[in-house]
Amino acid sequence: MESSNVSFSEIFKMYPVEEGSLIPILQKAQATFGYISVESVEAIAGYLKLTENHVFGVASFYSQFRFTEPARHSVIVCLGTACHVSGGETLLETFQRDLNIKPGECTPDKKFDLNRVACLGCCALSPVVKIDDDIYAKVNIIKLKEMWGKYE
Amino acid sequence: MNITINNWKIQVNEVATVLDIAAQNNIDIPSLCAHPDLIPYGGCRLCIVEIEGRRGYPTACTTMVEEGMIVRTDTQILQEMRRDMIQLILSEHPAACLMCDDVDGCTVFQETIRKVGITTGCRWCPKDKDCELQRIVEQLGIKELTLPGLYRDIPLEKYDPFFDRDYNLCIYCGRCVRICDEYRKSSVLSLRQRGKLTTIGPAFEASHIDADCEFCGACVSVCPTGAMSEKSRKWWGVPEKYEPSVCPLCSLNCDLQVLTLKNKIVGTVPPGKPHESGGELCVKGRFCLSELVNRTDRILEPQYLYPEGYGIVSWDFAIEKAREIIQGIVPKRSAVYISPSLTLEEISSAGIFAGNILQTSELTSSYIDEKLAAYVNLAKESIALEEVKEAGIIVSIFLNGNYNFAPLTMAIKSAAASGTPYYQIGWINDTASRFARYKVVPFPGKEEKYLNQIISFLENGQSKIQEIRELASALKNTKRGVILVGPQIMSLSNCTGLLDKVHQIVKLTKSKLFMPDQFGNLNGLLSLLKMKPVEEVNRKIKEGKIDLLYLIGDAPVNGRPDVKHLIYQNAFPAPSELNPDVILPTSLWGETGGSYLNSNGTIKKVNPVAVSHGYARSHIEVFSGLAKALKTEDVGFSDEVLTNYISDQMKIKKHILNVIPPAKSKAFSTGSEFPYVLIQEKNPHVYSNLNLGQGIAAFGDLIKPGHVMLNPNDAKILEVKDGDPVKLRSPVKESKFHVVARKNIPRGYIYLITSNSKLEFESNPCYINIMKDHV
Ligand code: SF4
Ligand code: SF4
Ligand code: SF4
Ligand code: FES
Ligand code: FES
Repeated sequence: MESSNVSFSEIFKMYPVEEGSLIPILQKAQATFGYISVESVEAIAGYLKLTENHVFGVASFYSQFRFTEPARHSVIVCLGTACHVSGGETLLETFQRDLNIKPGECTPDKKFDLNRVACLGCCALSPVVKIDDDIYAKVNIIKLKEMWGKYE
Repeated sequence: MNITINNWKIQVNEVATVLDIAAQNNIDIPSLCAHPDLIPYGGCRLCIVEIEGRRGYPTACTTMVEEGMIVRTDTQILQEMRRDMIQLILSEHPAACLMCDDVDGCTVFQETIRKVGITTGCRWCPKDKDCELQRIVEQLGIKELTLPGLYRDIPLEKYDPFFDRDYNLCIYCGRCVRICDEYRKSSVLSLRQRGKLTTIGPAFEASHIDADCEFCGACVSVCPTGAMSEKSRKWWGVPEKYEPSVCPLCSLNCDLQVLTLKNKIVGTVPPGKPHESGGELCVKGRFCLSELVNRTDRILEPQYLYPEGYGIVSWDFAIEKAREIIQGIVPKRSAVYISPSLTLEEISSAGIFAGNILQTSELTSSYIDEKLAAYVNLAKESIALEEVKEAGIIVSIFLNGNYNFAPLTMAIKSAAASGTPYYQIGWINDTASRFARYKVVPFPGKEEKYLNQIISFLENGQSKIQEIRELASALKNTKRGVILVGPQIMSLSNCTGLLDKVHQIVKLTKSKLFMPDQFGNLNGLLSLLKMKPVEEVNRKIKEGKIDLLYLIGDAPVNGRPDVKHLIYQNAFPAPSELNPDVILPTSLWGETGGSYLNSNGTIKKVNPVAVSHGYARSHIEVFSGLAKALKTEDVGFSDEVLTNYISDQMKIKKHILNVIPPAKSKAFSTGSEFPYVLIQEKNPHVYSNLNLGQGIAAFGDLIKPGHVMLNPNDAKILEVKDGDPVKLRSPVKESKFHVVARKNIPRGYIYLITSNSKLEFESNPCYINIMKDHV
């Protein structure tokens, strides 16, 4: 709590109290803490004199913001048109089943979190899965199981 | 300006949208997201029209009329497109009630054999027959679904008081979100996420209570579908009548409409056409009134206390017994309690009854104590509510606007939102707090000193405290300064001293005052009758100078005082241990007509809209019955007599109440042994002798009388959750309570709305120690 308060006051110093500051502050908060926590929403709402409900409504509109603490590794399954057609959905389902989490959630041991995205921009390699900064091309279920064994 | 809609030539003299002008001229353009209180949104796109010379199909709700405009609203192609849009909506909206082949017969005589009960049957939507979507489907003649259906399967939300939410029925018109944000300025609801995943609600998955919802019901009023429904009348069906009336639950006496069905009051909504009524009321006027009149414990028959206990008796018998008692009483040896919730007519009749029949001037109310006297004496200087909206600067002092005084809090919020500086002095956060330039938090127990510092700055221009310099000079140098004082100040130990200081500040800064109170007609009561503080009358009773206590819609707080006879005339049961000799059941608001004098000094009239419950009679009928039995028929209670009485008394300036100097309040003790500050509030919401927090369960869920509220972070530190028992200890007293965590309570504070009209601890504020109670 304490340390995050300190950094919040530093973040706030950079932005005037006006609604236009909301998105830049959210971006800064996400960059600083890795996600938008309940406490961040509360602090931002307090600073900008908005309600938490409003802040959350705006933040949740943009897929760039996440509301759960990031795990050590982030799994992103592409469900853009090309990947969808070549089996992205099955990959997502496999992740969901094996990790026992839904998109947007994180495993209890904080190892993986799971998200989907609509097109990573490399459709030729579809279906595509991204784990942290690595792009895995033409993934199938067998390959997928091998893949995540590499992560600690 | 002249325009043409569907070949009709229309003269327009205002800046308005095509949709408004069409509606004014009875041209019906289907619309779902537009609402008279809301900024045009253009979300549903049903109101598309064709305008000569414009490309495409502009939406009528967002298009302003212009000179010479030629508009068509009902061409083949428009209707076709509208049907397509409705089909899209219906693909995500359960539509059995709209599409069933038997729908016509079903509504009349339920011809279809069904395997399900009525309430769970296919006509299961609470808005059935009152739904705007249904109406539009009918209007557009849609008979079948062309797209496959998808049920969103969103869990029902039933955990908040007063209204349920079933977002499976939501069509995302955004009216609820917008009225909460634009009009109420509460921003409780938002559209979360987007696209197919969109849901409506507060941040994260918070309940409405935790999201600072005011339960004003604005969102429920404007929802075109059954997505939001009032719990109390969910399955009652469409109300038969919307009758104009006035709220009796605080001194603002808001206009409202009473919904009735078979002569029964089923609900109340703000003024305006059905679905067009907005959000002017607070939770009390919006949801509590119908619950209040429909309480199951209302007294329905007269009762008499026989030696072996109460028996139900006839009116004749009860009047006879009351007559016997009254006849045996010497003039001046009776005292009368009168409720500040009664109408002017009822109060007048009580005054005439007391003066001419009982021949006593010992009139009081259980609520009129020395603090209330100081409060109302100052409140006489109150301006009209409308002037608050025009204020150049607003300062509120110990005003808690939560679940309360909606027109006032909305006036503050919209003034502040459009730039009027607003300062809030007090401890607890309310719906207006986030609009304050800053919140002034006086050191608890040193409130008077704080106001003194403002005064000395105003007098000699000096203060070490920047905050005081800013606030005081702003108040002094801004035109049309308005100071608001809340009735919550009456619970504070040094209330009279504080009010004195407020008065000085008002004079020094030439500001105006606005002071609402929580009674429907205290203004009327004090204007019509010369009331005495309750202590004064109770002293007489203690001295044995009173033989009969006659209670009219009111009751003393400490059980039965030492009097020979007690007559109880009320709609709600007598508090335990009062043991009246005779109980006379009376009708309530809505069942008799009458008028109220609001804080603007305006008389507001209401008509009866429903029949009295059981054998209840109006107060006026009871008094004339008694007069007849006592053969004092020359004392009249006719409408004419009462009207004259009212207008005679109104000419006199409001009676000044005697202020009995309060006992010296005890010293506060601070220090680490008592690290928390306890703020108590008594009697915040009453009607007649009913404490709304206790009498209406759902309202109790909001204000939690008898519970200690604290900040969620403090709760975490103390390791307590909602409902856990805790022990509160002050230097002189110890008591047990249950906790509720609420975000509007600042850290280090504990808030306690007492469950009766007494404070629980010796002083207010009070330094306190709180501990988890291990049972
Ligand atoms: S009840 Fe009032 S405050 Fe609560 S969500 Fe609805 S409109 Fe907003
Ligand atoms: S809940 Fe009602 S008012 Fe709100 S968006 Fe849905 S349909 Fe519209
Ligand atoms: S603000 Fe007062 S008058 Fe208006 S609805 Fe609420 S209790 Fe009734
Ligand atoms: S669709 Fe998956 S990368 Fe484009
Ligand atoms: S009413 Fe015009 S777009 Fe909805």
